[in-house]
Amino acid sequence: MENTLNPHAQNCLQALMRCWFDFERRIQRVPIITRLNAGKFSNDDYLALLLNLRQQVIEGSRWIARSASSFDRNHAQVRSIAIGHAQDEHKDYLLLEKDFVNAGGNLTTIEQAPRNAGSEALHAYLMYRASQPNPIDMLGAMWIIEGLGQKMASEWAERIDALIPAKYATQFMRYHSENDETHMQELYHLLDLTCTSTAAQTSIVKTATVVGRLYAMQLEEIDSEN
Amino acid sequence: MEVFITSSGHFLPGPPVTNQAMEEILGKVHGKPSRLRKRILQSNGIQTRHYAIDAQHNTTISNSQMAAKAAQNCLDNSYLSKPAVQLLSCATSQGDIVLPGFGSMVQADLQLADIELHTSHGICSSSMMALKAAYTSIKAEDKQNGLVVASELASRLFKASRYEAVNNSEELDFNAEFLRWMLSDGAGALLLENRPRKRCFRIDWIRGFSHADAFPVCMSVGYPKHNNGDKSWQDYPTYSEAEREGALLIRQDVRLLEQVVKLGVDGFLRLIHEQFITPQNINHVLCHYSSDYFRSKIFDMLNKAGVGIAEHKWYSNLATRGNTGCASLFIMLDEFSRTQQYTPGDTIICMVPESGRFNNVFMQLTVVDE
Repeated sequence: MENTLNPHAQNCLQALMRCWFDFERRIQRVPIITRLNAGKFSNDDYLALLLNLRQQVIEGSRWIARSASSFDRNHAQVRSIAIGHAQDEHKDYLLLEKDFVNAGGNLTTIEQAPRNAGSEALHAYLMYRASQPNPIDMLGAMWIIEGLGQKMASEWAERIDALIPAKYATQFMRYHSENDETHMQELYHLLDLTCTSTAAQTSIVKTATVVGRLYAMQLEEIDSEN
Repeated sequence: MEVFITSSGHFLPGPPVTNQAMEEILGKVHGKPSRLRKRILQSNGIQTRHYAIDAQHNTTISNSQMAAKAAQNCLDNSYLSKPAVQLLSCATSQGDIVLPGFGSMVQADLQLADIELHTSHGICSSSMMALKAAYTSIKAEDKQNGLVVASELASRLFKASRYEAVNNSEELDFNAEFLRWMLSDGAGALLLENRPRKRCFRIDWIRGFSHADAFPVCMSVGYPKHNNGDKSWQDYPTYSEAEREGALLIRQDVRLLEQVVKLGVDGFLRLIHEQFITPQNINHVLCHYSSDYFRSKIFDMLNKAGVGIAEHKWYSNLATRGNTGCASLFIMLDEFSRTQQYTPGDTIICMVPESGRFNNVFMQLTVVDE
């Protein structure tokens, strides 16, 4: 494959890959995901998972939009991409709610569910970082959250379908498998564009790390709150 | 104290068995040809392998005898005579008998007197753990040399009769059949010394990363077909009941296999970060992967990150010698040393990613002259 990334972006990509693998191991140890892997995942587990994912999905397009507004005109290209992303994702939660209902949940329940402690921390951190001037480190957040989207589409959805009786209840998770390759190319492009110094590299990896930890906490809280 | 691999040897039982001939030896389950064989062989790329059982399912040579033959071959190629060997370190996934340790049986077959003994337990990475035990003994100046032997006799698990003994065996499960078309028999041996001999390999380091805390069991013998993790083959009133429940079949949870590649890459990146590996300096890579993995997306990502390794640097003999579990890497290194071009200063990276419960072991060698 053609090598087009600048050296800082290359080092950053290496660190991001390790960060992702660490995140994957971390969520493997989260009780609800351990149950999913062990085939002991109930319909109630799935409802709880969707219920607790919804807030972050709703907030997702908000932090992307906030990031977009924090980029100055020297970062116009990044800003355009971020605006496009926010537009793409701001109604994803509707798909998730539909899955919740198809899996036997009550629409009012999910609409009224508050953020769990992990979602609060994750949301607060994302909004704080996105409000900084030229928050290129949000690329680290994207890396984790988009990566998880792919993981849901390629691993979780099928597993869940095999374990729960409901039909058509994993559309939200499956939706993420579309445009996988385009997203990767876009991510490489953004990395090459923005990661041009050691400082940039450090901040992107740091945000990816923190987002990974807080995301895992959001999933852990599902069992703490039940 | 520096440690060198000064000799190697191998033993592969019987003639090479082709893809067409393997089912004649392992047998057709309930007389029906396998529907999965072709698909699995296509993905693992193996063309020939060796079996220590014949078509009548007689065992032609035991696991410990294969190990002893590989070890003898290694000593024949070395500057040491048997009495000079100080340590014997052995690995296998499954010995001929449950107890005692495999090393004791190999020692007896090999007729090595008064040695210190080590047996390591596990699957593919057990050979690397046995190697590390010998390496650290020499490095700590406790021993001057150590003979490391890894051997597998997997074919006994794959006899058609084993599958037929399971309840409702007409519906064979994919996970239990998968390894039938993957694994085969053989043994490899390495001699480690505290001094170089002619052109040989210096061991720069051996590092392992195990991830059993984060992942379920991926390859196993001992769990029944409907496994919820709380009943092993030893928990049945009789062994025949365990067999009927499929608890003595070898299984691979193929769903988890992708993790093996990811964790291999993770270890590789970690070693780059810790400056154990400098990708630009690597001349040869010997890896216990099936060739298909090299084409996966994750390797594209490594290239993008500037740490990919060109395809011509990868050496493997899995296609012709088969996947012999823990013996594979030793058999590979032995053939590499005899058939490939390498010069002093060349860096060789060896990788054994084990799918058992995700233990990955890496080793760096440097080619040196005495």
